[in-house]
Amino acid sequence: MRLRRRPDDLAARGEHLRELSDEELHARFWQLAGDVVAPLLDEARTRTTPSIERSVLLRMGFSSVEAAELVTRMAERHLLGHGAGRLILELAQRRAIAVREAGQALLEGRYWEELTP
Amino acid sequence: MKLLPDEPLDVREVLRDLAHYRPRRRGWTWRRRVPDHALGPFVYRDASEDLTRSVPLAAAHAFGDIDPQSDLVITTEIASGRFEDDLRRMRMAAWHGADHIMVIRTTGQSHIDGLLEGTPEGVGGVPITRKQIRATRKALDAIEDEVGRPINFHSYVSGLAGPEMAVLFAEEGVNGAHQDPQYNLLYRNINLHRSFVDAAEAKTVLSDGGILQIDGAHNANATAKEAWKVTPELLVQHAINTAFSRGVGMPSDQIALSTVPPTAPPAPKLRLDLPYAIALREVFDGYRFRAQQNTRYIEADTRETTVTHVLDTLISRLTATDIQSTITPDEGRNIPWHYNNVAGLGTARQTLMGLDGLMDLVELRSEGPLREQAREIVERAVLFLEEILEMGGYATAVEAGQFVDSGYFPERRSDGITRDPESGVGAGTVVPREADYGAPVCSHFGANVYASREPKACSEYGGCTLCESEKIRYVDELDPEDNVEARLAAPLAERARGLLRPEVEKAGDGVVCVTLFVPERSQVAKEAALEMVRHMGLANPEVISERLLHPSEGSVFEVRGVFEHAMKIDQLEIREREEALPHDEIEAFARPREIHVVAATVGEDEHSVGLQEILDLKHGGIERYGFRCHALGTSVSLERLLDAAREHDASVVLISTMVTHHDVHKENMRRLHALAVERGVRDGLLLVSGGTQVSDELARECGMDAGFGRGTRGQDVASFLVRRLRGS
Repeated sequence: MRLRRRPDDLAARGEHLRELSDEELHARFWQLAGDVVAPLLDEARTRTTPSIERSVLLRMGFSSVEAAELVTRMAERHLLGHGAGRLILELAQRRAIAVREAGQALLEGRYWEELTP
Repeated sequence: MKLLPDEPLDVREVLRDLAHYRPRRRGWTWRRRVPDHALGPFVYRDASEDLTRSVPLAAAHAFGDIDPQSDLVITTEIASGRFEDDLRRMRMAAWHGADHIMVIRTTGQSHIDGLLEGTPEGVGGVPITRKQIRATRKALDAIEDEVGRPINFHSYVSGLAGPEMAVLFAEEGVNGAHQDPQYNLLYRNINLHRSFVDAAEAKTVLSDGGILQIDGAHNANATAKEAWKVTPELLVQHAINTAFSRGVGMPSDQIALSTVPPTAPPAPKLRLDLPYAIALREVFDGYRFRAQQNTRYIEADTRETTVTHVLDTLISRLTATDIQSTITPDEGRNIPWHYNNVAGLGTARQTLMGLDGLMDLVELRSEGPLREQAREIVERAVLFLEEILEMGGYATAVEAGQFVDSGYFPERRSDGITRDPESGVGAGTVVPREADYGAPVCSHFGANVYASREPKACSEYGGCTLCESEKIRYVDELDPEDNVEARLAAPLAERARGLLRPEVEKAGDGVVCVTLFVPERSQVAKEAALEMVRHMGLANPEVISERLLHPSEGSVFEVRGVFEHAMKIDQLEIREREEALPHDEIEAFARPREIHVVAATVGEDEHSVGLQEILDLKHGGIERYGFRCHALGTSVSLERLLDAAREHDASVVLISTMVTHHDVHKENMRRLHALAVERGVRDGLLLVSGGTQVSDELARECGMDAGFGRGTRGQDVASFLVRRLRGS
């Protein structure tokens, strides 16, 4: 629901701030800012996105075109929650092949059944 | 790649072997301050190391061509849509003091879920791709060698592909980036959860890469109806991005706040903007400040815009700033033209050097309205944060329209931006991490089974691209038609044929701008102006600036048009300027010969400054070489001048005509020549004239031996005299 119009009630609303020194006011500002972002940081720690997963694959030596294709197919199979990079690295380790080779095999449609955790 | 100042940038050389080009460094570079920097006749308090090559400010010729550099990094924003043309603009900007080049992205790139590749043409900006970044970085590496100062390259880590952009930037040596999830959410309608989850990963990559982060709060200035009322919220937006960045682990000196003085005259600018600037610096002590110039109130008048930007830069100096960004003065009327990037840079450097040492002279008052207003803004910001938490947190507040409301908080007008946290572009793409979630790479944020692996998260397969750069996969072009090679064909073919066209933005655009005053009421005058420009032969004329001087007396217009012809360079008559002789060579000839020179300002002209500069020892004039100068003063008759030449047995007569009306300067030159012929002394005299409207060509036409215009030094005149007198 959209917030309603309100006159400038600084005098009343800000009364509890008047007694604070500048330093105390600044400290309160930063305390509140920390409180606002804390849940957002928690969410970021425990979630991932297609862009994060593609960025992981870029770092593992895949091109943007390859990373996009791999992550799209993993998302379709609801696998992103395990981490695209982890799935490919573990595939490579199980098969004793290079990481890029594992990724390319997936792009060719092979080994997908092995990825299901 | 090495650039030579007398050769244009070779874009083909830039594009050669890009697959193997690696950046020479990572991370941001600040200028190096030089305390009490002595340069020419001055000692600077706020200067940094000199450039090895540059174009000084125009007035520098009066001070020995010095080009002092301020201690602030100076930004210019560049994006024509074709990065290959932007590279030339970057080079020109670097010669005018820019060391932070910000590349604007093409329209719509923030909504593309993934990276683009190749070099497609953009609209209102450049598609940011690996090839474009690599080519730009390679060109900037060569440009920084040419000017002798590191150049920071910057673009945007926002939109749906933030984490990938951040990795790309870290891999390719990009030095600065905008990153602020609030920008995605408020201005690009990208889903809230997606924006913040992506941002944490992107910020981690930026942190480890030493890339300076600039936030996006300034956008609230640019969109708010009354920009000065959004100041409490600006503190809040800065705080949310800053606290989130700190929570991710970004060091404070990599966090820069993008701040804009919100108003422009006729608003009482300093009275409104300075308390806000002070409040911001005090609350965010320990962070960096990128001072942007005002765009909100820019209209088509570039002069008015420039004055606003001078005042913005004054506020930078009165407070504390690390980066002074510049806005091109034509941004209010078109996509910036390249010479306006240089104009914007000129505004900043001219103002900053003019304000050098300001805070040694003045201090801001510690009581009174400045303190009271600064305090009030912080109180309002604290109340803003309190209300976010009272409502239940950030997502609820955004949904309810708490942000970018036009009221002066806690006043509310109920016109803020509202965003449903569960919708927007990219909604539904955020996935919970399972207990076994893993990302075997460096610079990753949050839960990760590889986080504790020793020595690094990427060790199990030999290292990620951030550790082993040879693993980076370079993609060249994906589109066989829309790419730089295809675009270069036409301009390079014209260059090979020796053809030349004017330009403002892209090679060969042919755009020119004509200024006309038309003495009629504005409606009539405007149509007349367009018709006049059509008659000049320019295609597609368009009025880009109109300024009323008087409702019935007339208006002045700037009209853009396209000049559709190419000039052939080999058909131009070009007189190469002769290099001045070295000082000692001039003196070795002149001093022993005791050459007498009579000089005067002729006609009814009381200006003598120019002539003094050419003659006087203390101005570096020709007396220093041993010429015997006899200055007769101002408004001297030609007859008296030649009488004096005879008296002193002079072999040189110098005349100066600084300001002329009705071509009096031409008439004086012709008469001097005729009079000397009449008296039979012309062969024994060198007749030289100088003045702002004089050119060598004009002077020779009028019977003189030489003419010298604006910017002439004593050394130039002396070199001419020595060459003629010794017959070489």
